[in-house]
Amino acid sequence: MILDAHGHLGPWPDFLIPDPSADGMVALMDRLGIDAIGISHLLAVGPSAEEGNRLAFAAAERHPGRFGVWQVYNPHQRNRLTDQGVWGVKIHPDVHQCPLDDRRYDPVWELGLPVLAHGQTDSPWSDPDRFVTVARRHPGVPLLLGHAGLWPYGFARAAGLIRDHPNVYLEICGSKMTGRWIARLAAQVGADRVVYGSDACFLDLRIGFGRVALAPLDDADRALIQGGNLARVLETTRSTDRGTTEGRLP
Amino acid sequence: MTDLVVDAHRLIGPVPFDDLPEDPRPEMDRLGIHQAYVTHTLAIHSDVRAGNEALLDLHDPRLVPVPVLLPESFEPVPDWDVPMVRLCPNRHRFELTGPTALRWLAALGVTAAVDFEETSPGHLLALARELPEQRILLLNPGYRRLRAIAELMTAIPNLWLEIGTVNTQRGVEWLAGHFGAERLVFGTGAPVMDDCGPRFLLDHLDLPEADVALIASGGSLL
Repeated sequence: MILDAHGHLGPWPDFLIPDPSADGMVALMDRLGIDAIGISHLLAVGPSAEEGNRLAFAAAERHPGRFGVWQVYNPHQRNRLTDQGVWGVKIHPDVHQCPLDDRRYDPVWELGLPVLAHGQTDSPWSDPDRFVTVARRHPGVPLLLGHAGLWPYGFARAAGLIRDHPNVYLEICGSKMTGRWIARLAAQVGADRVVYGSDACFLDLRIGFGRVALAPLDDADRALIQGGNLARVLETTRSTDRGTTEGRLP
Repeated sequence: MTDLVVDAHRLIGPVPFDDLPEDPRPEMDRLGIHQAYVTHTLAIHSDVRAGNEALLDLHDPRLVPVPVLLPESFEPVPDWDVPMVRLCPNRHRFELTGPTALRWLAALGVTAAVDFEETSPGHLLALARELPEQRILLLNPGYRRLRAIAELMTAIPNLWLEIGTVNTQRGVEWLAGHFGAERLVFGTGAPVMDDCGPRFLLDHLDLPEADVALIASGGSLL
């Protein structure tokens, strides 16, 4: 099963995204054999978590089984969260200007579902060091360190920081990631701790997927990264999330 | 799968900030890249002359030399038999549109490759005004400045774009739709930049086969 952990729908103001649509995403997924992609709507990452989440759920409903929803939590808007029919929660400390380990995120960790968070080396909001703080506080919450630190000079450090925190995974999307670095990260922390994400439609789905498809990995490691690890995380929390699991996996 | 894949932007040699493959050929073999236009990293990060000499000594038909051009006011124009030179005006602290650079480029008459982060739209427009016949390959354009890139490609007919970093959903198709596949050139910037994702994208572009083949082999530039 091929699962993309990190996706988006919708426009983003900083630059032109030629195709921000759900239909376009599904067409590319069909072409590449991607079973499902976890999405947050960029409106939710941006100014309106509640409305953006509604758009994400609507897209998932229009394409059954193809989109897992990462509901965005905005600590300023304190929007409601659900434990039903979602993959988990997406937080973006940098856009929301709230440090990852700030107590205002407590409702996210208390939900107990997997969390995908933007992770950016040297950011005052989402440096990988803050993931360690959260992992210590909440060792039962699966936490995906989005972008594996984002900057190449931070990849190895991110891997070193999370190695002893088994609930933290390196999610590998980003414009600075390379196939070579994916293989190095897998060697450093184990392929079972590395999770494929593309950041599509923000970035091109084919580049993110192809980077793993052509990375210098053996087939077993590639399978773990391309979906095996995320499926395990979602299945594990499926059995513990109070039975409300519909829509979690295709 | 395209018949001929040419990477218009590749590096050979060590870099100061990472331990990366110094020889591009094993990865080119693995990824089905038949030929690469290469610049020596010593010429970018250390001694331009030494790097260019090392590059020109390679004599491997799969590796097309792209020496770094560093315009020096009191030196003669290099006597190179190469199809392309690379300029690093920010890093090497000279003016892309200064009198020496313009004189040297005019004398050489070859394609000038420049990283987008090494220049600006204003400098590129000025270069095209001063040397309208100058062929320019813009490297590492990225995905965040497609609007500015579109203006440049409209205003400068002799500007080609390396697509390795054009990384937002269907960005390459958007560019091909507006400017034609002939203005787009496959390249990666590897090993500093990624080659796996862009190589995969090349095989999965939603474009006619002839257009993909054209991009893979260097557009109408190479």
